[in-house]
Amino acid sequence: MSNQGGVQYSKIAEIKGPLVIVDGVDNAAFDELVEIETTDGERRLGKVLEVGNGKAVVQVFEGTTGLSVSGTNAKFVGKVMEMPVSEQVLGRVFDGLGRAKDGLPEPVADSFLDINGAPMNPEQREYPKDFIQTGVSVIDGMLTLVRGQKLPIFSGSGMSHNILAAQIARQAAIIGTDDSFAVVFAAIGVQYSEAEYFKRSLEESGALKRSVLFLNLADDPAIERIITPRVALTVAEYLAYDLGMHVLVILTDMTNYAEALREISAAREEVPGRKGYPGYLYTDLSTIYERAGRLRGKKGSVTQVPILTMPSDDITHPIPDLTGYITEGQLVLGRDLFRQGVYPPINILMSLSRIMKDGIGEGSTRADHQEISNQNYDAYSRAQEVRALAGIVGKAGLTPVDLNYMNFGDEFEKKFLTQAIDENRTIEETLGLQWSCVSKLPKNELTKVKDKYVDQYYKE
Amino acid sequence: MPSNSALESTIDQVLERNSSEFSQSLKNSLEDAQKTLSDALPMLEEEYEKIISDGKKEADKIEKQIVGSADLEARNKSLLIVQESTEKVLEKAKEKIANMERNSEYSSLITKLLTEATSALNTSDVIVYTNSKDKDVVQSAVSNISGAELSNDPIDCMGGVKVTSKDGSMSFDNTIDARIELLKPLIRKDIAAQFNLGN
Repeated sequence: MSNQGGVQYSKIAEIKGPLVIVDGVDNAAFDELVEIETTDGERRLGKVLEVGNGKAVVQVFEGTTGLSVSGTNAKFVGKVMEMPVSEQVLGRVFDGLGRAKDGLPEPVADSFLDINGAPMNPEQREYPKDFIQTGVSVIDGMLTLVRGQKLPIFSGSGMSHNILAAQIARQAAIIGTDDSFAVVFAAIGVQYSEAEYFKRSLEESGALKRSVLFLNLADDPAIERIITPRVALTVAEYLAYDLGMHVLVILTDMTNYAEALREISAAREEVPGRKGYPGYLYTDLSTIYERAGRLRGKKGSVTQVPILTMPSDDITHPIPDLTGYITEGQLVLGRDLFRQGVYPPINILMSLSRIMKDGIGEGSTRADHQEISNQNYDAYSRAQEVRALAGIVGKAGLTPVDLNYMNFGDEFEKKFLTQAIDENRTIEETLGLQWSCVSKLPKNELTKVKDKYVDQYYKE
Repeated sequence: MPSNSALESTIDQVLERNSSEFSQSLKNSLEDAQKTLSDALPMLEEEYEKIISDGKKEADKIEKQIVGSADLEARNKSLLIVQESTEKVLEKAKEKIANMERNSEYSSLITKLLTEATSALNTSDVIVYTNSKDKDVVQSAVSNISGAELSNDPIDCMGGVKVTSKDGSMSFDNTIDARIELLKPLIRKDIAAQFNLGN
């Protein structure tokens, strides 16, 4: 940081895309907050990307439209960008830079935190465990979300990921404990109608009281998107580690974040990596995703559900590809299921929650949870094979057991997978539905569950 | 009338047979009805429990909604009070500062502000701006810094100085207005704590 913040420079050497190059700067620091003042007195925020040879490269969050080389001033504030935090942020709506957007004054801050977060000491990290109930059967039953986990949703354009995100935000809860729970919702580059939907949905369900919303709209400057997940995570960390709450952070849509990163990278004339994204995309994404977790000695936890839309539904695209390396599994929305009108259209065969086992079972959900989930996976996979076979040989060519599997597949999609957008199912209801589905199969086909569970839960 | 007795006996027989068939059929129907009823009972109970549980869920949802919005409304009102109080306190403080006596204590404050500004700019070749009221106090402080000049154009501020390098490329706003603006969030926190309106 510069020794003394507050120096204003008026020599602007160049304006290039979202970047402003300030001349004659000899005392600035990397990541330092900069206030850009336009000729008509408007103030915009930015941060220092590079310093050296008397120049500072400043990335302007609110874009450089309307700025000119003459008459623009850059004030180096002497500190990094900070987010004012306190318990009062709950129930509030902010813009992508963390400024109040609900017509109310800024919350009274308890402290001001660096939006880049304090790095977590790996030795202090605690393994994610304990169940978060989302009320969405396919997630709770087969792809369980665990406190401290990062579990992304891979979607495609036009699919129902935002409806699912809002439903999770409304319904998510921790069961069997009095610990406080909060949701931090960061919308990155979403349409106005979607932002309104998120807001209204939380207001009408009464969940806004325990939520914080950060809304960066599609027509807000793209560069602001770089900041939105960071301010959201800063608030989440404060709620989790200072106030001891269990916090679920939903980030949608991370693809827009990566696009903004690409824009800056191109303006800085960096050597492009895959599909033009910067070579450090993996590192940059990890600075966001790795802010999920639990810390030893701290009561709270930060759980992340980042949502990203895969361009052309391509799972090998750099964004889902690199995200998959960092996170602990993924929920993949299937285009076929979406077209059939199934909601939520989660393709369980492509999805996985890697640490599900640590959040379920006796004491957390129910003793038979893992086994009945495995049985449903197994049966649905077989049902898909049978459907493919029926496409070739016809239904008449199938054995009675094959037909049972076909029935199971239909039942699974209609009764278990399909759910109303305001239907909040308990884990008991979810497990009951899983048993109903597998009860379409003869008992001797249930090879993944112990006999005692079959005796107890199988529906004749 | 033998023929009549034979007819009566036949009728009795038919009646008896029909009656037993009828009572058997009645019995069967009763059994069927009882079976249907007993089969439907668990379904009915299940449906009943579902309706009760759905109703409870809905009631919980509505309760959450009402309590949540009431809590938020109360919190938002207190936030508006804090804001209003902060504005009032700041107005009063600004008024007090603007009218304060320009004594020796104030002179040393100006010297401190000036030194801070030149050190931030890393040069003493500067032009110093202040308001018309502080001109004399600032002039005496400026005279102690070689290369510094006091501008004849006064600026609109409560007090303090604004310093610009002579080539105009750098400036440092060390007016009292700028400092209050910088500290505003902390001042708000203190005021909220005074009124017990913060957290």
